Amino acid sequence: MASIKRSLESDPFAANIASKVYVRSTKSGKVQKIVREVYLRQDIPCSSKLCRACLKTAPKDAAGRPIPFVLSDRPAGTSQFPQGHYLVPDTNAFLNAMDLFEQSSAFYDVVVLQIVLEELRNRSLPLYNRLVGLTKSEDKRFYVFFNEFRLETYIARDDGETVNDRNDRAVRKATKWYGEHLARSQPKGQAPAVVMLSNDRDNLRKAKLDGIPAFSLVEYVKQLKDGESLLDMIPESEDGELSKDKRLGEPIYPEYFTVSKMMTGVKAGLLHQGIFSVSPYNYLEGSIRVPAFPKALVILGRENINRAVDGDVVVVEVLPKDQWKEPSTQVIEEDNITKNENPDAEAGDDFVAGKERKALQEEVKRTHSKTTEGHAQPTAKVVGVIKRNWRQYVGHIDQSSVSQSAQQGRKQESVFVIPMDKKIPKIRLRTRQVGELVGKRILVTIDSWDRGSRHPTGHFVRSLGELETKAAETEALLLEYDVQYRPFPKTVLDCLPKEGHDWKVPESTDDPGWRDREDLRNLLICSIDPIGCQDIDDALHARPLPNGNIEVGVHIADVSHFVKPSNAMDAEASIRATTVYLVDKRIDMLPMLLGTDLCSLKPYVERYAFSVIWEMNPNADIVNARFTKSVIKSREAFSYEQAQLRVNDASQQDELTRSIRTLLALSKKLKHKRMDAGALSLSSPEVKVQMESETSDPIDVKIKELLDTMSLVEEFMLLANTSVAAKIYDAFPQTAILRRHAAPPKTNFDELSNQLRVKKGVELSVESSRALADSLDACVDPKEPFFNTLIRIMATRCMMSAEYFCSGTQSYPEFRHYGLASEIYTHFTSPIRRYADLVAHRQLAAAIEYEIVDPSVRSRGRLEAVCKNINVRHRNAQLAGRASIAYYVGQALRGKATEEDGFVMKIFSNGFVVLVPRFGIEGLIRLRDLADPEPVATYDAETYTLTTTGSREITVELFQKVRVKVTDQKDETTGKRGVKMELVRA
Amino acid sequence: MPLDTSAYSLALLRVDGRRWNELRRIHAQIRTQAAADGSSYLEMGHTKVMCVVNGPSEPGPRRGGVGGTSAAGSGGGGGQSKDAEVAVSVVVAGFSSVDRKRRGKNDKRILELQSTISSALGASLHTHLFPHSTISISLHVLSLDGSLLAALINAATLACVDAGIPMTDYVAACTAGSTSTYAANDESADPLLDLNHQEEQELPGLTVATLGDSDRVAVLVCESRVQVGRLEGMLAVGVDGCKQVRGIIDRVVRDKGRRMLQEGTVEKGVGLEDMDLD
Repeated sequence: MASIKRSLESDPFAANIASKVYVRSTKSGKVQKIVREVYLRQDIPCSSKLCRACLKTAPKDAAGRPIPFVLSDRPAGTSQFPQGHYLVPDTNAFLNAMDLFEQSSAFYDVVVLQIVLEELRNRSLPLYNRLVGLTKSEDKRFYVFFNEFRLETYIARDDGETVNDRNDRAVRKATKWYGEHLARSQPKGQAPAVVMLSNDRDNLRKAKLDGIPAFSLVEYVKQLKDGESLLDMIPESEDGELSKDKRLGEPIYPEYFTVSKMMTGVKAGLLHQGIFSVSPYNYLEGSIRVPAFPKALVILGRENINRAVDGDVVVVEVLPKDQWKEPSTQVIEEDNITKNENPDAEAGDDFVAGKERKALQEEVKRTHSKTTEGHAQPTAKVVGVIKRNWRQYVGHIDQSSVSQSAQQGRKQESVFVIPMDKKIPKIRLRTRQVGELVGKRILVTIDSWDRGSRHPTGHFVRSLGELETKAAETEALLLEYDVQYRPFPKTVLDCLPKEGHDWKVPESTDDPGWRDREDLRNLLICSIDPIGCQDIDDALHARPLPNGNIEVGVHIADVSHFVKPSNAMDAEASIRATTVYLVDKRIDMLPMLLGTDLCSLKPYVERYAFSVIWEMNPNADIVNARFTKSVIKSREAFSYEQAQLRVNDASQQDELTRSIRTLLALSKKLKHKRMDAGALSLSSPEVKVQMESETSDPIDVKIKELLDTMSLVEEFMLLANTSVAAKIYDAFPQTAILRRHAAPPKTNFDELSNQLRVKKGVELSVESSRALADSLDACVDPKEPFFNTLIRIMATRCMMSAEYFCSGTQSYPEFRHYGLASEIYTHFTSPIRRYADLVAHRQLAAAIEYEIVDPSVRSRGRLEAVCKNINVRHRNAQLAGRASIAYYVGQALRGKATEEDGFVMKIFSNGFVVLVPRFGIEGLIRLRDLADPEPVATYDAETYTLTTTGSREITVELFQKVRVKVTDQKDETTGKRGVKMELVRA
Repeated sequence: MPLDTSAYSLALLRVDGRRWNELRRIHAQIRTQAAADGSSYLEMGHTKVMCVVNGPSEPGPRRGGVGGTSAAGSGGGGGQSKDAEVAVSVVVAGFSSVDRKRRGKNDKRILELQSTISSALGASLHTHLFPHSTISISLHVLSLDGSLLAALINAATLACVDAGIPMTDYVAACTAGSTSTYAANDESADPLLDLNHQEEQELPGLTVATLGDSDRVAVLVCESRVQVGRLEGMLAVGVDGCKQVRGIIDRVVRDKGRRMLQEGTVEKGVGLEDMDLD
């Protein structure tokens, strides 16, 4: 029997083969030992343009192209290294100060070691992605050196050595090799120094022992020319690590559970996992939806919230029943309670803690006084955080937290930053440039939140500009809602047609652009849009057919003709996902050339379109529908108002006007049918800001008017979307991109229907969208026409939000669009401003066999990712638009004071919220705003009535109409300008 | 945890430090079990397989001692046909992969592996010389790290050579892949040679086997979605890899033959005069 055992020495490659052994645990808690081969080699270049030895062995890809060398032959010098230097940061350096590496003033020629990249990927995927992005940017000159695969820099883990120690050693070894390697090819003393950057004291010490140049981030940044300003970007935690004797006070917050304890708890059903969200009215109250309970769990108080920030994925434990409470009926604002907190104070600042406790205590008293009632909701406390959802926050420095000395000196100082987003707690920031930053909009990130500190600590990223300047506030908005607003990169612009604005539909119908296109230029097509609309997505036509039926066509800009799948422009559009409309600005999804010219269905010129053409009988029933790519020539671009005037003017009897009238008649029938099927007509307070034409300063606010012609366009767009949805679902049952609107859970309406029952004696039935629509119609107050709208606004807030999805991920009944009462729905009609529509266009083109299916619109995984992104972007775009209106409304009111009617939407025990329809704004009126001294109030939660006695005697009920004085006000402590309301009479 | 396959574009290095056109280390031995007619042991990286060949023999009542599963190869009705039947059985050891898994006899994947190997070898073995008989090939997978089918075909070829069954040429196999997934639509995707397990999981790939030094493809299996445009490059790299593999297994066979001559295990026969004995 021959033995298959062999000695390693006999193998000529033995020295080049190592293996990597590591242990990982799976989601189910199983521990796996993974063994991987590692082939060590000597042809991994150092990538320095100075090195000649590596040039010979530079690797080539399959096409024979070598990778260009990255590191500059003339690297920048510092005071210590006049000959220039390359940087080798370790993992901690990237983890702590990625913002620093992204600076354009310093940090060039960086060697990113493979081991560092691997560690970073394990610790934080977003940071890893940012670093990979840096390595791809040409001007930053970041080079990934695969030290684990190079024979000279590979090290094996020693006995008893921890993984971290081994990795640190690998970093030192690679740094040392780099230094020696470069020194060999250069004359003595001229080779650039290779400098290790680390935050680990031990690692630095060992490096110094080995004679490797090594610095901590602070030491290094100080050597740079503009070091001062960069110093602030080095996060707090790093200072802590180096300063040995930092005394930690008594921890304020309970410790988090270990990950394994949380996992087992969640599995056993004892703990629950969900996304934490903070109440917009009370920063000490949060809620979390978990699958185990139909209603959200309430989390009350700082200790229970336990350092969770809005959006974090957390694990909670339900508290015993005697601690269950009613959701807060009080408004608690962080600004007021913690106004005087000293940012330098150590933990356990009794002054503030006492105040907060008092605020909560009042609540507890209230609940205890009537524990017999079944209103108490389960409460919970946070025991751990699975995933932080921290991002960069826009805010401004709290003036009151700044000491006088800091305004002048360059001493490092702790200050508070108040984020724009009210749900985010104050962030403690250490900075040397307080003087410059006060009164500016700034961008900060949260670094950490340890048990000992009441507020999270963060660091400064950059300044956006003066508070209340248009540029700074707009950029702040865009950053806050994560809107991509940078100009399109060159790679994207390269995808545009070469002809630019001169592009025309080819004259010869033999041109490839005409392939399979119908010539619809002879039809009387027109578009109807808001005034000043430049990106015209849609146009319509109608004409009678000989058989008495009517042909109706909806023509949509053929964007997919210009944006081919998977090129740079498509990639950019899929990231942006939607055009964002702000009051004074539009951030386009596609470059201007396409959006406002080549795709836009402008009048009097020929354009490519994607047409949906129905034959309808006079009752607006569809006889048949077809889809085709086409060429059209719009006869006129109307505004809603113009079209309305034309329709109303009986003297206009030209063919175009008649066709609009036909469309209008049909659309009314369609709307009627939709309403009969149970479509909801929902409402949100919509206003329009009027700008002065020259300075573009806001001067007035108007409520948007509703015209018949708007509903005309809307009805046909809905119809087109529904028809297309059915078609692409038919062609691609697994991968069609659709839009659904889930039926809201009944519990969402509990509060509203209770309020209606108590106050107005109206029952709200929510069994189906039809029932809801009917009962909403019944909610009328003969004396108050706005009451119905108010209820609709409130009902809208109880709804789920509609979402895009890929048809394979849901079963057919789940496709339903609740609000539109449609079985299947998609977005098809605005491809210029929505990416989902563009995907639908491609799918429809494939479904009618106009072109072959592109893999990107067939791959379910990819579509799911696209849907996820566009859902988030869509929501953010809406929020950004609303925030922009709110800001301009505030600016329009500047220096004015008007009395307006308002309606009470929500009542707390110490205040109430009033909606002013005229401006579409909501404002909070607190008891202490009513009179001085603050009146005593009793709140009856049963009847939703607040009665005050003492300094001012009023009674406020829910849904009550009140008269308020609206003024603008700048809060001196917070620097925010907001709308302030004063109650004139109840 | 190491990086994934998307890191390739950073420095043209794969997850285990190879370049796009490099094979893993291949180690092979033949005649590892004296009792069998032919046997071999083959490692491609961490994929380790053993092969034992019995036959050609007349099928007994219990079908030549092989585990019972016989994939219908060139012959249909076992001993009845004019050609010898190539019966392949593959056993994947429970300890071969990270998670201990039980694989049933009727695992569809294994059945398919068996029939693929059977028809691949059937193309090279001179089965017509042994009518009414069975060549049974037992393959045991000891460790799994990607390119399983290729390793099995190579091991089976070696064992058949060892068993002295006449054949036209070696059947040498290897895998090829692409650095970019199907949906990524990446124009500059490089083809890859010899995928390991991680690459097989994350990237599209195919297995190709060729006959000897020629470009004649004996096996081409592709179970993943791949863009047509990339297929040609992958196939070219795969066929090139097969030639390298053939060179390696040829060397193994010659080394073993030389040693056996030196040791006097076999006599120097006719036609072997020209063989170099050092």
